[in-house]
Amino acid sequence: MTAPTGAFFPGGAILLALTILGFGAFFWRAWRLYRFLRLGRPEARLDHPWLRLRDELVIYLGQRKLLKRPYYARGLAHAFIFWGFLVITIGTVDLLANGIAGFHLPGAGSAVFAWTIDIFAVLVLGSIAIALIRRIFFAPPRMHVALDGYVILGLIAILMITLLVFEGAGLAAGNLEKGYTPPPLAGLFLRSSVFPGESSAVVFYWAWWLHLVTVLAFAAYLPQSKHLHIVTTLPNVFFRKQTPRGALGLIDDIENKETFGAATIRDFSWKQLLDGYTCTECGRCSDNCPALATGKPLDPQKIVLDVRDQLLAEGRALLKDPKAATKPPAHWVESKPEELWACTTCAACVEACPVTIEHIDKIVDMRRHLTLMEGAAPPEAQRAMTNIERSGNPWGEPRDTRGDWAKELGVPTFAENPDAEYLYFVGCAASVDRRNQRVARALVAILRAANVSFAILGTEETCNGDPARRIGNEYLWQLQAQQNIATFSKYGVKKVIASCPHCFNTIANEYPQLGGSYEVLHALQLVDRLLGERKLRIGSDGQEIVAYHDPCYLGRHNRIYDQPRAVLDALPGIQRAEIAPHHRERGFCCGAGGGRMWMEEKVGERVNHRRIDQLLAAKTGATKVASGCPFCLIMLEEGVGAKGVQEQVRPVDVLELVAGRLQN
Amino acid sequence: MKILIPLKQVPDSTVRVSVAPDGKSIKTEGITWSISPYDEYAIEMALERKDDDPSTVVSVVTVGPARSRDALRQALAMGCDDASIVIADEAIPPVAIARALAKVIEDAKPDLVLCGKQASDDDQGFIGPALAEVLGWPHVATITKAVPADGSVELWREVEGGHEVWTARLPALATVHKSEKEPRYPSLPGIMKAKKKEIPERPFTALGVDSSGPMLEVLSMEPPPARGAGKILKDGDPRHLADQLATALRDEAKVL
Repeated sequence: MTAPTGAFFPGGAILLALTILGFGAFFWRAWRLYRFLRLGRPEARLDHPWLRLRDELVIYLGQRKLLKRPYYARGLAHAFIFWGFLVITIGTVDLLANGIAGFHLPGAGSAVFAWTIDIFAVLVLGSIAIALIRRIFFAPPRMHVALDGYVILGLIAILMITLLVFEGAGLAAGNLEKGYTPPPLAGLFLRSSVFPGESSAVVFYWAWWLHLVTVLAFAAYLPQSKHLHIVTTLPNVFFRKQTPRGALGLIDDIENKETFGAATIRDFSWKQLLDGYTCTECGRCSDNCPALATGKPLDPQKIVLDVRDQLLAEGRALLKDPKAATKPPAHWVESKPEELWACTTCAACVEACPVTIEHIDKIVDMRRHLTLMEGAAPPEAQRAMTNIERSGNPWGEPRDTRGDWAKELGVPTFAENPDAEYLYFVGCAASVDRRNQRVARALVAILRAANVSFAILGTEETCNGDPARRIGNEYLWQLQAQQNIATFSKYGVKKVIASCPHCFNTIANEYPQLGGSYEVLHALQLVDRLLGERKLRIGSDGQEIVAYHDPCYLGRHNRIYDQPRAVLDALPGIQRAEIAPHHRERGFCCGAGGGRMWMEEKVGERVNHRRIDQLLAAKTGATKVASGCPFCLIMLEEGVGAKGVQEQVRPVDVLELVAGRLQN
Repeated sequence: MKILIPLKQVPDSTVRVSVAPDGKSIKTEGITWSISPYDEYAIEMALERKDDDPSTVVSVVTVGPARSRDALRQALAMGCDDASIVIADEAIPPVAIARALAKVIEDAKPDLVLCGKQASDDDQGFIGPALAEVLGWPHVATITKAVPADGSVELWREVEGGHEVWTARLPALATVHKSEKEPRYPSLPGIMKAKKKEIPERPFTALGVDSSGPMLEVLSMEPPPARGAGKILKDGDPRHLADQLATALRDEAKVL
């Protein structure tokens, strides 16, 4: 593709002026946005540089997070627009260089270049048509449909049309060099002489100008549009969290700090603010949110956008006076905290976001403000925290009953067997909840059958702190974690098994923040391994269909999807079923995460009831629904009871199915 | 307004209590102690007044062993302004405790004293009324709300089917049944501030109060009998089961 030279060159000065104006406006606005970002608190995001580069390739260039079920078609349309943008931008640079200074980028005159641009221009145009049709006729309910979207799609459409028109007209008028096969669509104009004779030169001239002026207007418009994500996704992906998704950020030196959590724009980290600039308002997070789906006031997209809007509204004043009074982030902290308390931290939003926005961290930071600064957690959550403080478990069961379930089994404690290889960290649920004590007994039977050397901590074990941390009580989490880490150290614990994904997640991913690093396995990972090593002899217990429910803290937070399924598949007579389409990455929360287990659920439908509906709607024919989490088990049991289907489908833990079939 | 709350540290309600080898007391090694629940309500009630009128000063005091200091810290963390302790390691006659508290109150000069209606360990409910008697102050028992007015206070009590509202001239003493809200969870800055606060202490003997008085003597203590296994009726149709249940309730449980 070539641009007019010679005859057009006097226009070069005008083009130069317009280019400076367009990009000047872009950089001027972008600089202000950058300075706003700097208002946020510092946060280190440069660890794991190679993973960051890999993510740029896979997520930014490869569009990996867009191409996900159930979004394949729309994802592909977006990918074409994006890849087209990358390719055609090279052509745009060539056009500007030639128009202003009369030189070409190397290779810009080649047939390959012209064909590539041409094909992408057609693909982009087609994708724009799909996007427009979708917006106008099939807008998903959570999509934030605003004028901005139409402006952007319109501008891109103008760009592609003018590109094809001036190419075709240019070829017809002989303004472009020949000698290669004309690109397919531009060639149409050449052959059919759409603009005969003199007119083709005029059409070329105006289409060329319109194209470039649109490019520059686009650049100037970009920083105030959600379309800025074509730029901000690049850093947002690069600086995404590379620590495990399940690990919340540590409040370092907590005893000597005076403020905690996020109450104003300045309390969010620069990365959390960058999330706001990057949000494309696509609504996929909201689409997948179990709280929103069941009528709670929480909308994850709104949280991200509210933080952004507040930054844009207050940024200027804060830059002038860093101490200027600010409103609390949007309004939740003060008047609508119930939005924040509705979150189950299930990470469906984080998983769904195509541009790696981290919703949970913001929500927990605001909860930290409410809990640590205001003492304003919901009363039931306060009760759970008080119970953890006083009796080491959120139920408030006496501390010294913690190991009682294991006494009749003769399970040794570390005090009795300090040489044990594994610590089985039982967790509060399996220690004090009668239903889950059966799961603990099942695991003990399995470990014994496989001759695994293990011991428990008995009354020396205390709550891992997960519910406290997710309610926002970082302080209590640290106290609990430090206490457990000290006990682990006392016995020289190196390997930990947990039957609860919340214990597993916090010990594996969060205890290292306080210096406690262990080899941590969820029980189902260990069982999968023991089965692989043929250390367990399993018999059949008749034919049955078992549906698997993904616990969020095994699945999305730790990407343990396959091992629990492999365990089920290894059990003769069991046919595994999926609660499609809400399985694996799209698994639906049971409603208990994020400390929600301890709070009342008064608004809307109960999340666990919705989950049972999904199970029934999947028509799997399952007579059992198996999980790997004590809280999922409690919620599913309540759910089948409330729906009156407890005779039809019985909630179990996968461990119970294994233990029931042991033959050694 | 100055509000003072005498509190007692008791074994936490989550503790599984067991009898000590002497057969006359409970084992206290390694157990969790906390503020007696009704005292917590009294604190919350006072802090709610402080929420409405920040000039309110809320003080807590306890008479007890040195470990009771933790309960005072908890009260400070909740938002109380100051705390003091009268150290008494030996068991003291309740009426002497009331005299010791009266002495503290004479020095502190609060307008209103709120006591929990009873401590959750011995459930005697003695200190509040006894303290009012020693002080010679008006006393209203088991209140659920205190509304200060000019020079007096409105004290609300829950009674069958409604409320009684009493007015007491200040200074006055009331025992608290419940606060309007659940006792608050301390904020972290509150906890940190409470850690650094001075808690002045005085030995009981230094107060110079009469330490004589009647004492209850525990002769023996034993755990309640273990509950027997329940009985599940499951054979037969509902009518038959209902018959069995009625028979069992009449003949075995003897409740019908």
